[in-house]
Amino acid sequence: MESDELVIQASAAEPIYRQIAQQLRRLIASGRLTPGDEIPSVRDVAGVHAINPMTVSRAYGQLEAEGLLERRRGKGMVVAAQRGRAPSTDRRLQQLQPQLDEIARQARELGIPAQSVLDRLRVLLEKDQ
Amino acid sequence: MNAVSATDGNDVHDFPAICRSIRKRFGGRTVLNDVSIAIPKGAVFGLVGRNGAGKTTLMRILVGLLMPDCGSAIILDEPALQMTDAAKTRLGYVPQSPETLSWMTVENMLQFVGGFYPRWDSEYMWNSLMRWNITPSQRLSKLSPGERQRVALIRVLATCPELLILDEPASALDPVARRDFLREIALRAGEAGMTVLFSTHIVTDLERVASHVCFLHEGKLLLNTGMDDLKDTHARLSLSREAAAGLSERLPGEIARRRRPDGGMSIVLTRQALAPWPSAALTSGATLEPMNLEDLFIELTDHPGAGWFRR
Repeated sequence: MESDELVIQASAAEPIYRQIAQQLRRLIASGRLTPGDEIPSVRDVAGVHAINPMTVSRAYGQLEAEGLLERRRGKGMVVAAQRGRAPSTDRRLQQLQPQLDEIARQARELGIPAQSVLDRLRVLLEKDQ
Repeated sequence: MNAVSATDGNDVHDFPAICRSIRKRFGGRTVLNDVSIAIPKGAVFGLVGRNGAGKTTLMRILVGLLMPDCGSAIILDEPALQMTDAAKTRLGYVPQSPETLSWMTVENMLQFVGGFYPRWDSEYMWNSLMRWNITPSQRLSKLSPGERQRVALIRVLATCPELLILDEPASALDPVARRDFLREIALRAGEAGMTVLFSTHIVTDLERVASHVCFLHEGKLLLNTGMDDLKDTHARLSLSREAAAGLSERLPGEIARRRRPDGGMSIVLTRQALAPWPSAALTSGATLEPMNLEDLFIELTDHPGAGWFRR
C-alpha cells in the first residue's frame, strides 16, 4: 500500500487521525489489505500529506489497540493476522459506528421514536434472509 | 483548558515557551489582556487571530523584543528579556516581513548568518535554495515578497532551532512552497522534537500540521486545545425560532451564542472527550453539526465580544 492511497481532507470536521483509521479499517475489512501486508511508515504518510506525524501515530496506535495492526521488528506496522477466524461481531460492528451515530442523530432531529427506527432497520436487515 | 496549569507537576524543561499573565497596552488600547500559554516540547502550536488580534505583539514579547507591561515570558528556560547568546542560537524567529541585511546577496547573507550558529546545516540550505528556485547571487532587495519569505524560512530552518517562532510564515508562499514548508515543520517537530509556534489566519494550514491550536481575539485567549480533540469536542447547535424561544439559561458546555436574523439561535457547545451532548441538542427544532476550524473561528470571533464567556 502507498501513502497517497489515503485521502486526507484537512478541512473536514472529522479529525485527520480518524480519517486515517477509518480508511485503514475499511481496507482491511474489504480484504484489500491482508494479514502481513505492510502499512506505510508514519514518516512517509506524514511527509506525503504534509501532516503532523503525531496524528498518523495516533491513528496507528488506535488500530494496534483494536488488534488490526501489529508492530513487526524491522518492518514497521503490518496488518495483524486474524488467527483463522473472522473478526468478532463487536469489531465489525465498530465499523458501522459512525453511520449508526449519524442515523441516531438524524432520527432525534426528526423526532422519530426509537422503536420506529429499529422496526424499519429490522425490516431492511431481514429482507434477504 | 487553562494553559498554565498544564505545567503543574511537570518539569519546566518540557515547555520551551511559556508566558504568564501577559498584559500589554499601546496608547490607550489593551492589545494583550492576561494571556498565559505553555507550549509543550515537540508541539506545533498554531496561534489564530484576526488582523490586529495581538499575535505579533505576543510573539515579539516571547522572543524578548518587546517588554510586557505585566507578566513574564520564559523561553528555553530563560527569561525572554535576558536570554543568553547560547539560548538565542537555539531559538529561531521570523518576523512577518523580514527586511534585514537586504543589501546583501542571498548567498552572502545566509553564510554570514550561518557563522553565528553552531548547528548551521549548509546542506539543507543549498538543497532548499535549489528546490525553491532561489538564485544565490540575487540581491535580497530585488526578491519578490514570496521569495524573500522563502529565504527567511531557509535561513531559520538551517539553524536547526529547538524552538521556532514564525509570524505569518506562509502568507506570501504559493501553494507548492507552502505545502513544502508545512511538511518540513511537521516532520521536524515529529521526529527531531522541534517546538513550533506559528501565527496565521489561514486556518487550513493549521488543520494539517498543528498539534495544538489557540485563538487570540481582542487580546484574550479564547481556546487552547489539542487539534484532534478540538474537532471531537466542539459542535454548533442551531435552534429554530420556536426552539430558541424556550431557551433562556446557558446550556452546559456553551461557549458562545448568537441570535440569527430569522429569530433562531446558533450556539457553540463543547464537551469532555466523547461525553454526550446536552439534552437541548436532541429536541425537535435543534440541529447539532460538527465544525471545522474555520467554522469555529468565525463563530467565536465574528462579532465584538463574541464567545467571550467561558467556563
